[in-house]
Formats: sequence, C-alpha cells, structure tokens
Amino acid sequence: MKNLTTEIRGIAKKLLEDKRVDLIVGFERGTLPLRSTPCFVRRSEEVRRLIWNASCENNLARYLPKRTEKIGIVAKGCDTRSIVGLIQESQITREQVFIVGVPCSGMIDRKKVDATVDGKEIFEADERDGEVILKGRDFELSVSQNELLHNSCQTCSNKNPVIFDALVGDKIEEDGKVDEYKDIKEFEALSSEERWQSFTREISKCFRCYACRNACPLCYCQECFVDSSQPRWIGKALNFSDIAIYHLIRAFHTAGRCVDCGACDRACPIDIDLRKLTKKIEKDVQELFHYRAGMSVENIPLLATFNPDDPQEFVR
Amino acid sequence: MEEFREQKDQWEPKIIAFLCNWCSYAGADLAGVSRFQYPPNTRVIRIPCSSRISPLFILRSLQHGVDGILVSGCHPGDCHYISGNYVARRKFAILNNLLEYVGIEKGRVKFSWVSAAEGKRFAQIMKEFAKEVKALGPARKLVKSKIKV
Amino acid sequence: MQEMIISKKQIASFLNNLIRQYKVFAPIKRDSFVLFGEIHSSNEALLNFANSKIPPKEIFFPQSERLFAYSLTSGEAKIKEPLPVEKRLVFGIRPCDAKSLVILDSVFDGETYKDVSYADRRGKTLVIALGCNSPSSTCFCTSLGGDPFSADGSDLLLVDLGEEYVAQVVTERGREFVEEQNEYFGGVGGHSLDAMNDVVRAAEAAMKPKVKVGEIKEKLDDIFDDQIWSSLSERCLGCAICTYLCPTCHCFDIVDEAIDREGERVRIWDSCMFPLFTLQASGVNPRPTGKERVRQRIMHKFSYFVDNYGQRACVGCGRCIKNCPVNLDIREVLNSISNR
Repeated sequence: MKNLTTEIRGIAKKLLEDKRVDLIVGFERGTLPLRSTPCFVRRSEEVRRLIWNASCENNLARYLPKRTEKIGIVAKGCDTRSIVGLIQESQITREQVFIVGVPCSGMIDRKKVDATVDGKEIFEADERDGEVILKGRDFELSVSQNELLHNSCQTCSNKNPVIFDALVGDKIEEDGKVDEYKDIKEFEALSSEERWQSFTREISKCFRCYACRNACPLCYCQECFVDSSQPRWIGKALNFSDIAIYHLIRAFHTAGRCVDCGACDRACPIDIDLRKLTKKIEKDVQELFHYRAGMSVENIPLLATFNPDDPQEFVR
Repeated sequence: MEEFREQKDQWEPKIIAFLCNWCSYAGADLAGVSRFQYPPNTRVIRIPCSSRISPLFILRSLQHGVDGILVSGCHPGDCHYISGNYVARRKFAILNNLLEYVGIEKGRVKFSWVSAAEGKRFAQIMKEFAKEVKALGPARKLVKSKIKV
Repeated sequence: MQEMIISKKQIASFLNNLIRQYKVFAPIKRDSFVLFGEIHSSNEALLNFANSKIPPKEIFFPQSERLFAYSLTSGEAKIKEPLPVEKRLVFGIRPCDAKSLVILDSVFDGETYKDVSYADRRGKTLVIALGCNSPSSTCFCTSLGGDPFSADGSDLLLVDLGEEYVAQVVTERGREFVEEQNEYFGGVGGHSLDAMNDVVRAAEAAMKPKVKVGEIKEKLDDIFDDQIWSSLSERCLGCAICTYLCPTCHCFDIVDEAIDREGERVRIWDSCMFPLFTLQASGVNPRPTGKERVRQRIMHKFSYFVDNYGQRACVGCGRCIKNCPVNLDIREVLNSISNR
C-alpha cells in the first residue's frame, strides 16, 4: 500500500502543478486507528497529506455533484462506477473529472473490527502481509484482513476501476466465482412472515440521522422526498411506518443506480443492514433487466428506457 | 382510521384503483355504462398514465389503511404517451418484488393492463381482486399508528 | 462529601430491589451497541462498558415525544396530555453524561423557562453515576473542565475499586437515597479511600493530551468570516449523527401528525446539520451550505451557548468522534481554530 500512496501523491502533484485540476479529492490519515478521512487538496505542496490503505472506505464520488471546478478524484472500483452513474445523470461532466483509479482488494469494515474485539478500544492497528494486528489495553490480536473486509468488498466483482484517467498500481484479478447474492437468496428463502419480522426488527433501530442517504453519491436530490411538506409523504417522528417507507423508497430510488459500494451501510451508526434492501434491488435489476449500474457512460439509465420484452408475468 | 371494521364477515376491504386516463379509466367507465357489476370496495383515482405512479402512492396508501391497491394502464404498445407504460412496467416489477421481499402479503398490490374496450374484463379483474384482498384480511403491516407515549 | 461502600456482590440484589421501587434505566446491550434502556432484572444491566452509543439524554428528552393528542367529534375537541412520569433512576451514567444534564437543565429547566415534560422527568429521576477508570482515547472531558470522576449532575457517584464501589453522596437527594437503601451500603475504610484516590489519579493521568479550548470563544468570535471554515467543513456529510449522539445537543422540531379527526403534536430531535433547519418559507436559507452549518455547530457550542448560559455545550464524551462516517474530529477542529 505504501507504493500506492507514493504513486497517488505523484499523480496529484503533477495534476495540480500542471493546473490540469483545481482540486484533488483523496484520503488522508484519520485521527483514530484504522480510519482515514476524505482530504481536499488544492496546493501541490499539500499532496503529502494523501494516503492509501485498507481504511479508505468512503465513496468520494459523493463529493462530486454540483461542483463546477475540475477535480482529480481518487477512486476504487466501486467509486468509479458511481462516477459513471453521476456522469450518466448529468451531475458532473466527464471532462471535469480526472479519475485516479486504484484497483482495490477490499476495505476493512470498522464494525467487524469492533465485533472482533468485543467493543473494546483499539489503541493501535497495523496491516502486515494480509494480517491486521489489533492492540488494545490488555490484548493483541492478529486477524486475517480478508475476514475483516466489508460484506460488499467480500463479494466485489469490480475490484478494478471501470473508468479512469490514470491507474495506480497493478490490476487485481477479479474473482468470478463468488455469489454476490448469496445472502439475498438466503433471505428470499425464508417465509414471508419471517422476512417481515426480520425487516421490522432491523428497520425499527433507525433514528433518521440520514447518514445512509448523505453518504450515498447518488442521493443528490435538491429536495429529498422525506423533506417534502407539500405533499408530506412521510412524517419525521419515530413511527415505524414512516421509517419503513423511508428505507423502502430510498432503496427503490437506487434501482439501476446503486453499485453496492457499501457507503450507506458503513455510515449507519447503529448497524442497520441496509444492503439487505439495496442488494435485493440490484439482484432484481440484474435478473429482470440484465443491467448493471455504472459500467459505461454510454448506457441509458435503467428507468429511462425499456425493452418491449421486459418481464410482465406479474401483470394481470 | 383506527376503527377497523373488523367484525367477522362484516369487514370489507378498502381498495384503491389507480387507472390511467386513456385506457383503464375508460375501460372502467365502459364497465359502468354496460352495467357490468363489481363490488363497491374500490375507489378510483384517475391518473394521466400508469407511469405517473410513484411507489410513494402505493406505500402511502398502505400506510393509511388501504387494504388493496390496483394500478392499471394501457397494454404495452398502446400507451397514449407512447412508452409510459413500458417504463412503468420496469418500476412495477422492481416494486412488486421489493414489497413481497420484505413481507408485504403477495396479492395486496396488483398491476394490470386494461384497454378502453375491456369493460367486462375490468369488472372481472375488480371482482377477483376484491375477493383476493378480502381473503388476505385487513392490511396492518405498514399502517401508521400513533407513537407510543 | 459523604462516602459509603457497596459490594459488587450486592449489586444484583440492589438493582432488583430498586426495580421494584423505581423505573430503572441502565446500560444495556442492543445487538452490537450499548444504550440506556429500562431494565426489568439486574442481569440486563451492563456494567462493564466504555460508554453508550446513544446518550442518556433520551431518558429526559426523548427523540419522539408526544406533547398532546387530540380527537375531534361533532362540536367537540378532546385533548389528551401525557401523564406525568413515575419515579425513575438512571444507573451507570458516566460523569460526562451527568454533566450534560446540567447543560440541558440550563435550557429546559432554567430560570427563564421550564419545559414541563423535561422538568418532570428530571425532577423524578435519581442519577447514579459511574466514574471512568479507563477513559477512552476519544474522551476529552478534562479539556473542558470535566473529569472522569466529576460529580457534576449526579446524585450519587460510584467509583469502581474492583470488588466494591465507593459511593460518593453528592446531593441531598442522594443522601436520602442512601439512607433509604441503607441495607446495601456500609462504611468506608481508609484503604478503600486510598484505593479510590489511586484509581482517580490513574484515570486522570490516562487522559490524552488536552484539546486547546482555553481561548476558543474569543478566537471563534474573531474568525467568523475566516476561510478556515471551508476546509474544516468540506468533508462533512450533513447527516445528524453528531447531533443525535451528542449528550448536550437539544434542538428540536415540533410536528403535527393527523389522520382524519385524530392527531397528535410531537416534539422530535432536529439537527442544525440539516439544510432544512434554517430554510425559511420564502426559500431563503441563511445557512445555505455545509460550511455555514458546521461553523454554526462549533460557534453554538463554544461561543453562543457561553454567551447565553455561561458554559460550553460540550462535555468531551467523544461520541461524535467515534461515529462520524468521515472521521471529522471536533478535537482537530478546535485545535485548528485555536492555532489560527
């Protein structure tokens, strides 16, 4: 990862010096172990803030919509697919972005780390040869990095950027064998009542912080439906019905657009399994319409087009 | 709203039918004019095209005690706005699967294509739908209740 | 300050006894995180924890609170107000959270204004705090005049000595409580007091270096138009995690929920990080971007609140630091401003 850091800094420095971009969006060291934080660099002397490691979890494409300047953005595979989505939907132009693509073998899930140490505080963490060493007040654990990767990373089939202007590091071999919908299929196999109980229990935790929505690159509406007062679709109090509809509609709004970057899931402070909904939508979009979000800027967005042979067995 | 009229055998479902103006609404109108009977459970909401339907309409209906929702548009290829129903078909497919996935009873939300000439068929669809929804019972799952104090 | 001893062997019986007399709130585990919830048996209480994810302000200032309900029948409107609460007890609250109650008191139970439901809850709740033997690295209470063993805001403060707790009686109400529950409390010996002092000193020494807040108010008042706010706020997502998880944040909205002829007026938590917070009916928004909103958050906590209530609206609990999805660290923000 150290070489990737050096490469990213080099590219960023040149971009800024050549005035090819006005701003670099990348990651810098966070203030806690295993954390990094989005970093905005405008001066070439500051590129040494930029880093790359297995804690670069955020989807930086989230910072692109409505920007008018030229931006160099550091993007993992999933992030580049989000950028494609934003270009498709005219939220940013292709010319505006210089995409520094980074092949990614996965980002660590903070919640899995937390669970591994049973919520105890980690003072120090090191990544070495595929192992993560976690040190706390009275413990030192070595855990395989693969086990700590976020669920969306563990089933990722776009480790390599799908669009880029510069590629950092070497391409990673894609793992074609993993069934990315395994969890969804298991859930589908439950009875209707079991699914409802599980959904209710999970969604009832929500306290409407909107971190999921705000972390998503594709939730860029000027006025989100939850804030609409004329008409008022859902209330703002903690009523289960309102909360459920918020999540169902938000998931629906990602149809044909969500790339399963996991940003929503990672942002949620109370560990709601949001991907249970968004991944199901993604699965249906794939199976019903053979469409995969964010693969090419030439693609027409899913719900802006149709196929005369689209499935309709469910229609009376 | 909290007063579910639920005494056994006396409860009747409340059904909303979103009908596209050019085909399905005209079909419903033809059913009326031709005196094809169907149960009075249905309240019709006329929309310009089936693509006007936002999933919010359907979920909000469920939130407010509606037991069955039917969305009906023109047959594919016959949309007054050329391709509205085609795009709507995609939305409906996704929404239909999502609702069933989280545990909303299959059969509460239904989609159909009814043309302006299909008065008899419309009545038939409404009769069957009312029967299906009655068998499912009152829709409780997404109903909005007062918050606990 | 009067000190007593309560043995850890007694705690289960102590709590079970209290549950019979009070509505008891204690730290409980909910899936993967800790929050303060009502317990019905002592074994539900978690006493080995750093701090809860959701702050205990919930107990006094619920996120969704009915102010009144109404129903309309022909010619008549019936209003139903919530009943006063029964007596309650919070066990295991940390000193930073206890201090946050003092801050919330200045807003909701102060000289000029008394919020009926907050005052009711606050008045009827006995607060038993648990001092922090092992502060987290994200804790910075000492930078703000607090302490891992501060008694501010509690009626009773417990110090964990391993086999037993030293219970410091803080208020008159705490003293009455100890008398009422005297079968559980015993006298404290010299060695226990020494052990207690050792624990307190060790915890204070373990606190991370202080955050620079000495002259933060003066600095803040000076740099309102400074461009530093752009860089400090650029990565903020504008969600409400920091506000909802903050023990001192208290902004709220009031909404009416009505269906046909029945409805209720509900008070809900609101967040200054939302764009809608200052959106006016005309469409004008005095805080149009994240920059203005992040600036407002810091200024409110460290300047405006000082002007209005004479104290800073932050207790250094560190929840915002741990839970921010983009690791926007308030300590960094404060240090940057102090160094400006």
